[in-house]
Amino acid sequence: MEIVVLIKPVPEAETRLRPDRGGAELDPAGVKFVLAGYDESAVEQALLLKESAPGTTIRAVSLGPLARSEEVLRAALALGVDHATSVEEPPGVAHDPVQVARMLAFVVSRYSYSLLLGGKQSGDEGSGCVPSAVAEFLGVPDFGSVTDLKWDPIAGRFTFRQSLERTVLSVEAPPPVMIGLQQAWNDPRTAKLPMILRSRKAPIDRVPRAEVEALLARHPRPAVRAVSFRLPPPRMGARMIEYSSPQDAARKLVRLLTEEAKVL
Amino acid sequence: MPDFSLSEEERSLQDLARKFARTEMAPHAAECDRAGRFPEEIYRKAWELGLMNLNVPTEYGGSGLTLLQQCLIVEELAHACAGMTTSIIANCLALEPILIGGSEEQRKRFLPGFCSEYHLASFCLTEPGGGSDAGALKTRAVRDGDHYVLTGEKCFITNGPFASLYTVFATTDPALKHSGICAFVVSRDTPGVVPGKEEEKMGHRASATSTVRFEGARIPLENRLGGEGDGFSIAMRTLDQTRTPIGALATGIAQAALDHAAAYSLKRETFGKPIGEHQAIQIKLANMTMELRAARLLTWQSAWTIDHGQRGSLESSVAKCYASDASMRIADEALQIFGGYGYMKDYPVEKLLRDAKLAQIYEGSNEIQRIVIARQLLSAYA
Amino acid sequence: MESSRGSLVAESLEALPLARSLAGPSGEVLGVAPGPIPEAEAARVPADRIRVIDPAAPPGASTAGAAFSLVEAAQDSNASLVLVVGSARGRELAGRVAARWDAGLATGVTEIRPGTQGWTVVRPVFGGRATQELALEGRKAVVALRPHAFSPGSAPSTPPVIEHRAAPTLPPLATGGGVSAEAPVEAGSGPSLAAASIVVSGGRGLRSAENFHLVEELARSLGAAVGASRAVTDAGWRPASYQVGQTGQSVSPQLYVAVGISGAIQHLTGMMSSRVIVAINSDAQAPIFRVSDYGIAGDLFAILPALTEEIRRVRGGPSAPASR
Repeated sequence: MEIVVLIKPVPEAETRLRPDRGGAELDPAGVKFVLAGYDESAVEQALLLKESAPGTTIRAVSLGPLARSEEVLRAALALGVDHATSVEEPPGVAHDPVQVARMLAFVVSRYSYSLLLGGKQSGDEGSGCVPSAVAEFLGVPDFGSVTDLKWDPIAGRFTFRQSLERTVLSVEAPPPVMIGLQQAWNDPRTAKLPMILRSRKAPIDRVPRAEVEALLARHPRPAVRAVSFRLPPPRMGARMIEYSSPQDAARKLVRLLTEEAKVL
Repeated sequence: MPDFSLSEEERSLQDLARKFARTEMAPHAAECDRAGRFPEEIYRKAWELGLMNLNVPTEYGGSGLTLLQQCLIVEELAHACAGMTTSIIANCLALEPILIGGSEEQRKRFLPGFCSEYHLASFCLTEPGGGSDAGALKTRAVRDGDHYVLTGEKCFITNGPFASLYTVFATTDPALKHSGICAFVVSRDTPGVVPGKEEEKMGHRASATSTVRFEGARIPLENRLGGEGDGFSIAMRTLDQTRTPIGALATGIAQAALDHAAAYSLKRETFGKPIGEHQAIQIKLANMTMELRAARLLTWQSAWTIDHGQRGSLESSVAKCYASDASMRIADEALQIFGGYGYMKDYPVEKLLRDAKLAQIYEGSNEIQRIVIARQLLSAYA
Repeated sequence: MESSRGSLVAESLEALPLARSLAGPSGEVLGVAPGPIPEAEAARVPADRIRVIDPAAPPGASTAGAAFSLVEAAQDSNASLVLVVGSARGRELAGRVAARWDAGLATGVTEIRPGTQGWTVVRPVFGGRATQELALEGRKAVVALRPHAFSPGSAPSTPPVIEHRAAPTLPPLATGGGVSAEAPVEAGSGPSLAAASIVVSGGRGLRSAENFHLVEELARSLGAAVGASRAVTDAGWRPASYQVGQTGQSVSPQLYVAVGISGAIQHLTGMMSSRVIVAINSDAQAPIFRVSDYGIAGDLFAILPALTEEIRRVRGGPSAPASR
């Protein structure tokens, strides 16, 4: 089986978010970009499939500023991914999921694959629509919010569960297919020290920026422009409810939620 | 100009250690400290990730890290728990004599097993009658055909009760002093090898420390490292290698102390404002920061010196001695900033103070380090 | 619009009044139903026309077919904006439609207004820890709405005109998949996390799996979905599907109640865009209080049953037999 995993470098969870000087974007100064969240689950899922189906190879593909995307690719290589491709993102398209998907599809189409994997959404902007847009460009079916993905070698199908708002579907799909992962049911593994050292020396295939720029030039689009990046007004901290008994606390809270917050 | 930036490779090793320290060590640090529990499950995980045996070269199955890389890892681990860190890095200390004094055949015989399976090893130099005066040790090695018979007692042995291998220093003739000392590799299952019970310690309570007695244990000749009388030199060169990571360990404790103190100083209020806005506290925090940074830089410099092929006796003594003294002062000031709460076991800083203390004592007390430093200094003027 | 078991889901109705106001008096609103819906339901939809795709795609099909129909509808009506329900499926669909229609795209949108060119949208990012404003500068845009961000509005005075359109036949390569089983979420125990307008989550402060029912009972009294912090799912007290946070579900209900949750950043990323946050925790210093609107510090084992009881009393539900 050949698996292609799409991973996006995102700020690590503890990052203190701040707008940049123009106020339109996250200020990247001092921010560490990592493999995290659903994408980390996607890599873990690929590795689990590889362990269950010998002969499987995994290629990770990442789009972004080169230094960032190659860091997450090295993280994936250290976890056990076999090959890595970095795609240098041209300026001005980061917020346009369609152009991002177009570039990813363009790169992915060079490889043979029976499974395309990604997190169901990225850990930063969390659009959750890139995997399906990639699938549309490639003409393959896609399924999001997936858990319990397995390969059935006898039927030659993937089986998985799709957790939607009101229902959980058990789905079977033949390859090739694009899967947006909800979460690996196992904790993502930690890379081992010797693998980390090896990953630093592993080759990464680079797609030159000129190639994707030429692609985008063939498909010009009106811009998706960042206007502002704002932090919500700091919550002032909870109004602490003073009470004489648990019942008193309950009465006061319910009254506040009903009369003041109007959510009950 | 020197370059103090870390490579991506060094950063990724630091990340690994930090992640392990935060997720696997830190949540159990207080509990292990309180109970004096030796959390072997954590040590096994550290081994699985390749965080043990950091100094074993790749040809024997290890990671073959530079000393600087080792120091980066040790600082991160010690930030979570110095006691666990001591147990995790004890293999480096115990296996270093084999790297330094062992033949190729001995290295191939002893080292790969530690990289392919989880095993602990202990370095057995100190004796009840003396630690720093290594030339005066009393454990006897008596040649008997193609064996040596070991008799004597070692103390303060890290991982002693759990080790499967000991590197032991013993003398063929106490009258020969330094030149009578031999180094041996001793398997735990040799008859006459008797680890004692775990000591109750002030700090580093997640690490196990015990005596190890040798009651006529017969050690085959092929387990002697180097020649007869090479033992003292092997021990000293080993400590030259392993002293620098103790500087890193002390730096890790100090960083943890500063982190706790700084966060607390913003939270705790007196006289209507956070104590961190009072100059008395700011001066403490500034001093702690300066000392911490100096400790780290001296440690890095020592590692760099040794990584560049020099012995680094002076540099490693300076780093170990300064960093551990600084760590003690920083932990002390952190506790002071916490005030009465700092003295309580519910808060994490009193543990840091207890843990920091050991770094001034073990792997050559800071008094010995100062003697080494002064001798080297004076020899330049003689 | 999105339907479930032949009925429009509630969030579908949130898109239509918005479409109505954006279209203005001269504009037209076309609702697209992914399968036949009951006539009474259709009459409540504030649209000029409803296009019903017939037959509905089988459950478990990829969104490829729906995307095809939606793009066809957009082209037929020369639309400038396609609004999509912001469900999990809706976001997938939005991606496909925008790729196919070559339109601007934004998901999880909480505000939308006409811009100097095209549309300007606002969306929470980083799990609600920040908001991003984007200008979609083209003439065509696909926007997936954040659930609960818009109100459903009322039924129109004249019911929409219904038209039928045959579902497309696409090559199997593009659609794939078949369903072997379908299970309603948490059979009978309340709405699912992502769709719920109230979420009650429990954390480590509950101390054991046996105590977690206190959270579930409170949720039941509120008609809320049940969530959990990672500590709870890691400990196996509840399955991973309960997890709210960075590696779990992102939720943005009207009311989020955090019980015994200290408020690690990994959890906050996932619930910070909730409208009102209530924290109940025994540790008055817990960081969760800093991001909450209302807080109760105290013994949650006493407070939870009292709160459940109070809500039942106010809402007129069945009273618990014991305590008073």
